Amino acid sequence: MSNNKSNKSKMLYTFFAWLISLAIFFPILWTILTSFKTETEAIASPPSLFLFDWTLENYNKVMQQSPYFKHFWNSVVISVGSSLLGLLIAIPAAWSMAFIPTKRTKNLLMWMLSTKMLPPVGVLIPIYLLFRDLGILDTLGGIVVIMTLINLPIMTWMLYTYFKEIPGEILEAARMDGASVGQEILYVLAPIALPGIASTLLLNVILAWNEAFWTLILTTVNAAPLTAFIASYSSPEGLFYAKLSAASTLAIAPILILGWFSQKQLVRGLSFGAVK
Amino acid sequence: MATNNSKTLARMMVTPAVILLLIWMLIPLGMTIYFSFLDYNLFGDGENKFIGLLNYEFFLTDPAFVDSFFNTLILMTGVLFITLVGGTGLAILLDQAIYGRNIVRIMVLAPFFVMPTVSALVWKNMFMNPVNGIFAYISTTFGFEPIDFFTHIPLTSIIIIVSWQWLPFASLILLTAIQSLDREQLEAAELDGAGKFCRFRFMVLPHLSRAMTAVVLIETIFLLSIFAEIFVTTQGGPGNASTNITYLIYTQSLLEYDVGMGSAGGLIAVVLANIVAVFLMRMIGKNIEG
Amino acid sequence: MGSITLKQVTKSFDDNHVIRPLDLEIEEGEFVVFVGPSGCGKSTLLRIIAGLEDVTSGEISIDGADATHMPPGKRGLAMVFQSYALYPHMTVRNNIAFPLKRAKLEKNIIEQKVNQISNVLNLTDYLDRLPGQLSGGQRQRVAIGRAIVREPSAFLFDEPLSNLDASLRVNMRLEISQLHKDLKTTMIYVTHDQVEAMTMADKIVVLNAGKIEQIGSPLDLYDNPINKFVAGFIGSPKMNFITMTMDTNPEVDSIGVRPEHFNISDTEGTWKGTVGVAECLGSETYLYVQIPDIGQLTIRTDGNCPFKYGDTIFLSVDSENVYYFAKNGTCIPLD
Repeated sequence: MSNNKSNKSKMLYTFFAWLISLAIFFPILWTILTSFKTETEAIASPPSLFLFDWTLENYNKVMQQSPYFKHFWNSVVISVGSSLLGLLIAIPAAWSMAFIPTKRTKNLLMWMLSTKMLPPVGVLIPIYLLFRDLGILDTLGGIVVIMTLINLPIMTWMLYTYFKEIPGEILEAARMDGASVGQEILYVLAPIALPGIASTLLLNVILAWNEAFWTLILTTVNAAPLTAFIASYSSPEGLFYAKLSAASTLAIAPILILGWFSQKQLVRGLSFGAVK
Repeated sequence: MATNNSKTLARMMVTPAVILLLIWMLIPLGMTIYFSFLDYNLFGDGENKFIGLLNYEFFLTDPAFVDSFFNTLILMTGVLFITLVGGTGLAILLDQAIYGRNIVRIMVLAPFFVMPTVSALVWKNMFMNPVNGIFAYISTTFGFEPIDFFTHIPLTSIIIIVSWQWLPFASLILLTAIQSLDREQLEAAELDGAGKFCRFRFMVLPHLSRAMTAVVLIETIFLLSIFAEIFVTTQGGPGNASTNITYLIYTQSLLEYDVGMGSAGGLIAVVLANIVAVFLMRMIGKNIEG
Repeated sequence: MGSITLKQVTKSFDDNHVIRPLDLEIEEGEFVVFVGPSGCGKSTLLRIIAGLEDVTSGEISIDGADATHMPPGKRGLAMVFQSYALYPHMTVRNNIAFPLKRAKLEKNIIEQKVNQISNVLNLTDYLDRLPGQLSGGQRQRVAIGRAIVREPSAFLFDEPLSNLDASLRVNMRLEISQLHKDLKTTMIYVTHDQVEAMTMADKIVVLNAGKIEQIGSPLDLYDNPINKFVAGFIGSPKMNFITMTMDTNPEVDSIGVRPEHFNISDTEGTWKGTVGVAECLGSETYLYVQIPDIGQLTIRTDGNCPFKYGDTIFLSVDSENVYYFAKNGTCIPLD
């Protein structure tokens, strides 16, 4: 009896869960499907879900029209570069605040996080002018620096919450065993905190990959990442659905795949240690 | 809890981060403050006269400011409301024993990885387009007039798009929180005769408050400065119907080249964000013990 | 090797004086136990000796050399932490080898030493496991192994047994005592458990509120406590305190009697009371006796005790087994 009942409710929950998650996923699915249609099929009414002539034509066109791989490479350099650079600065800072806290540590953390609340528009003009005067508008180096600074508070905070969970005694043991601070971080802290460091890195790669304020404003051609590449489809190119879909799929696929593989670490990292 | 030696070292280790963030904050902010007192147009005569608070006066009395202020608030609260309520519901659903949970999870999480420009373009063209969009197709199939989303309900449309992007984040954080709930506690409550609603209201919900704080905090950081979604869909229009403060300043400074006015606006945005920030910091200060 | 001297050492965090001016002499090869209630400063004192904390003032010397500002790794001391503090990502072998690698020893010497230590500690079969795959007792042994492999001039133990279950604790206690007999190295051991202090120490340092109450051998502290605090802290079950005044000595404020020193009778005695709970352990029995106007006294007597709940009982004590305390707590020797 009860087994039957719980089985029934399991089916019911399964049904609703799949219904809702399919609805949430549908725009992405639809985009991917449309990218394989011809332009006529893409706007056909009624639209067909799977029964159409699959074609790679759109991908060809998109690649010809703008150098996808160049934008892709720019995105990789910007997101990975800024995340690695950020880690380099954030790990020592987080180590210091987590293991040798002072009375001011908490305020310092809050202040760091508050810089993240600074609306980008508040500093838009000076940054734009500074970049123009330094001649680093539309350069990868410039945008990497900005991305590093933008994500530094989040990185520091995330690492701090990870480090906090590591018992200080282990690091003290290393100190007793004659390890210098560098060795302590390298041989003991970093390996233990590796999952945390990895998820911090991942999250920041994703955030930087998708960042679409500074990348749109500070890049035009040479350093333009995929966000800018796709923004050029805003109008009227956007009306060519199949091509738009192909470009969109190309822009999101790398990070979508990366994100799916690392979702466990991501969720933990995202919550700033609020959820264990 | 350490020796003077290690304290000195600790200070050295935290210094680069602090200095970089200080520079990042103070130099541009200082320049913004300076510009905001000038009559400074990128294509002006280059005289850049000092005009006192005139920029602020213009910015604050501009009807567009009031519109964009409320649009920013509506956008933020709308998305927060949808993602928190929807996220809680979804989290509870995903917490049940269901078939294929991993695939469901992956599908729910997916929108989070989609860059704002892409999601805005896809929604704008393929879903909300009044002629060829999927929604238009559904409406006409059922004999309704298709909605012209970005003309008639521009702000709502943007709220829908942004909520879609942030719903996965909220659901997954809340799901993780629910899964960390002490099952024995719930069973004890059930034995004590607490009904389903009662258990949700008095046990699950309080347990989720920490996670909800995290969701509100992180989403707010990003929602206050929504830009790309507006940039590629409505361009702030029609009129100012979907202009938020970020977008308003962008148009004023980089489209109309009025640096002075843009700077004044930027500072006002900073002040407003700080009000929200102080409020939020209190909240997390209480909820996340350092 | 292994003598440690503390001179006028103090430690305060802001206005909180954790260690008040304190002198202590630890001799080579001694097993010294710091004991006291939680918050008495015993762990802080150990961490100061280790170099994990600075002194606020005062001097520390190890083997005659000034070590006050020496970093922990240079002091030649090894520490076993309460949580063992094993490196969770390293195998047992690498855990034990870690301090040797930091000391830049040659590979084959490291291997030889690790093998030798693991033999002594019965860890040979576990060398390639991670700490997470070991039981509590095994982890404890790895922590000890990591400490001895460096051949330090002294070992520091910070409540090393408090995470083990009761029976294992007794075993490890014996093992550590045995280790001390074998190595003859100075050991400083922090605990709040007076049984550990009594059974292991050559010298016990009783700490309370950041200062030393008394230093002495276990039996010395048991027989001649200097004050009420030490009298109450050493000995299990606790000494009974009875508030009373004496005509012969107006200074006396209370007396103390150890549970094992009462004479029991069912007909006559100094105090008359009613047996409350009687805990029968087989080898011995603890009686909790309610005495009107005085309160509850704990009595320890032999295993086949005839008294049970509700019985009336008479208690008395031989005068040489009574301790007399003044109002400020000091023990007054009476002849």
